[in-house]
Amino acid sequence: MNAIEVEKLSRAFNGLQAVDNISFSVEAGEIFGFLGHNGAGKTTTIRMLSGQLLPSSGGARVAGCDVITEQQRLKPLIGVVSEHQNLYERMSGRENLEFGARLYRQNFSRVNEALEQVGLLDRAKDNVRNYSNGMKQRLLIARALLHRPQIIFLDEPTRGLDPVVGREIRRLILDLSKQGVTVFLTTHYMEEADQLCNRVAFLSEGRIVALNTPSFLKVAHGQDSVKVTLDDGQSVTIALDDPDAGKQLENLVNAGHVRTIHSAEATLEDVFVQIAGRKLAE
Amino acid sequence: MNLGVIKAITRKDVVDAIRNRYLLSALITPLFVALLFRVLLPGDNPRSLLTVVVHDPGNSTLIAELRKAPQIGLVEAGSADAIAREVEKHKAIGGVVVPLNFDSDGTAGKQPELAIYVNNKKNNFEQAAFRRLLVQQVQSLVKQPEPARLVWIDVDKETNEPTRGGLSLDRMLLPLLLIMTFGMTGALVVPVLLVEEKEKRTLDFLLASPASLKEIIAGKALTGVTYSLLIAGLLLAINRQLVGNWLLTALTVLLGLVLVVSIGLFMGSLFNNTMQVNTWAGTVLVVLLAPSFPSLPMPAVVDAAMRLIPTYYLTEALKLSLAGSASPRIWGHLAVVLVCTIIAFAAAVWALRRRHN
Repeated sequence: MNAIEVEKLSRAFNGLQAVDNISFSVEAGEIFGFLGHNGAGKTTTIRMLSGQLLPSSGGARVAGCDVITEQQRLKPLIGVVSEHQNLYERMSGRENLEFGARLYRQNFSRVNEALEQVGLLDRAKDNVRNYSNGMKQRLLIARALLHRPQIIFLDEPTRGLDPVVGREIRRLILDLSKQGVTVFLTTHYMEEADQLCNRVAFLSEGRIVALNTPSFLKVAHGQDSVKVTLDDGQSVTIALDDPDAGKQLENLVNAGHVRTIHSAEATLEDVFVQIAGRKLAE
Repeated sequence: MNLGVIKAITRKDVVDAIRNRYLLSALITPLFVALLFRVLLPGDNPRSLLTVVVHDPGNSTLIAELRKAPQIGLVEAGSADAIAREVEKHKAIGGVVVPLNFDSDGTAGKQPELAIYVNNKKNNFEQAAFRRLLVQQVQSLVKQPEPARLVWIDVDKETNEPTRGGLSLDRMLLPLLLIMTFGMTGALVVPVLLVEEKEKRTLDFLLASPASLKEIIAGKALTGVTYSLLIAGLLLAINRQLVGNWLLTALTVLLGLVLVVSIGLFMGSLFNNTMQVNTWAGTVLVVLLAPSFPSLPMPAVVDAAMRLIPTYYLTEALKLSLAGSASPRIWGHLAVVLVCTIIAFAAAVWALRRRHN
């Protein structure tokens, strides 16, 4: 069963097409990556799918609810972590979650569970303005999980975080997926998308330019190569799909100046640059 | 509308607002001013603030109505000639000489002459209030543009320096403080509550939650109403002896605060950050407060301009209800306030919905 079904969804702002006729679906329990440049339309798509913004045309069903006509039925079924740390800073972490619990009609016992889930129980009484970026991000996730949503939208959840906190957030995302929660993730970090996502969609200028599993995209669009490091410290990269690759490698080895040879697989970032870059250049 | 959601938003805002020093100072300013006046200028006993000497051989309805007003103490004069002397003797605000057939002549449209003595030794605010009260009472008696010819006579022309007695929380200041409370709520508190949600992006969280736009607006409005009601209630409680008609005063206060909250929501829907609110709040506050300043003689054009401000009608209704009058004019004023409230609220909802979509 599909958790999200998007059909020819578009949104324009004052004549500017932010999202342009996109269609895709996300299976229940899947971690779906939505990748693109700044201004590609990722956040606009999330806002439409979470009932915050009406589409200009097209439509979508999220958790079985129409995003245009069933917004109020949809909202208790989803959780949203904004790209901004939109917490009430004069309130404590616990007060933020208690407010969320009141909105979602949840028992306050859920507040403790959510705080514990993100490791903030011992700092719950502190004012949010005294939290670090990582703590704020964890609190945002706790707030989005309070009502046990079927689908969670995470907009750049690890942006600006140090590697340790970033790893904690990624562990949380994987845990959620294991619990059957569908995760719709936008990120700038291709490595993160490669590591977490079952499938990814590349968005460029409001359009989806590629959508598949990371491994498929790497095979289909990426370039495998070998990196040869010479005695003088210089390195040469030889693409394996080059018809002369074998001859180039042989020449280097015969010259006797090769220190190391490493195989290099295409990364998702390479694929993204190739696809989005080409698209942008057109 | 989900009442639980509205309650949750109101509860959050009520707590959050008092943690915001800026909003807290805006909220307590009218109370602070009230206490300051009370401490610095204790004034006379407000119950006998406006003593009026009357000569009314025909037992007119006008004087009967004046007698009902709890803030006016009437002193009878034996003759019309004795009025000026009695005014000075009793240190009254003024005197009124009512001709014998005043009621019947007024009804017949003969415009009887009403001689009104004004004590120049009293301060300008009191004199203005006395003049206004007389004009309102006369107009409320007979539904004609000019039911009587009012002849104003100064009791002591030599005295140009009015005394300062009774300037404490009297009936001139109470409407001003109430309007100030409303103004602070309308121009500052409610817009900031709404704009902060936009500025800090917490509005995105609310819109993604089960709260609808209408419920968010209702929650903010209820917060404004709660604080205004609390402070207006405290002001009225402190000055309870100044309130003539409690029921009408309560109704006027309620309508007034709904009006200013609607204006605040409209401002909040237009602005995007607290800087913009701060920039405009002062101007809006002055405009809202202007009609409530104790009325000194003003050019006709200024007076006409005041009538374009919704709080003019609120102030007039407050003055009448505080004076204990149940004049039909008060309902006219309240009707104007109600219409302005509906317009402001509809504009706020329209502007927010337009931005949201």
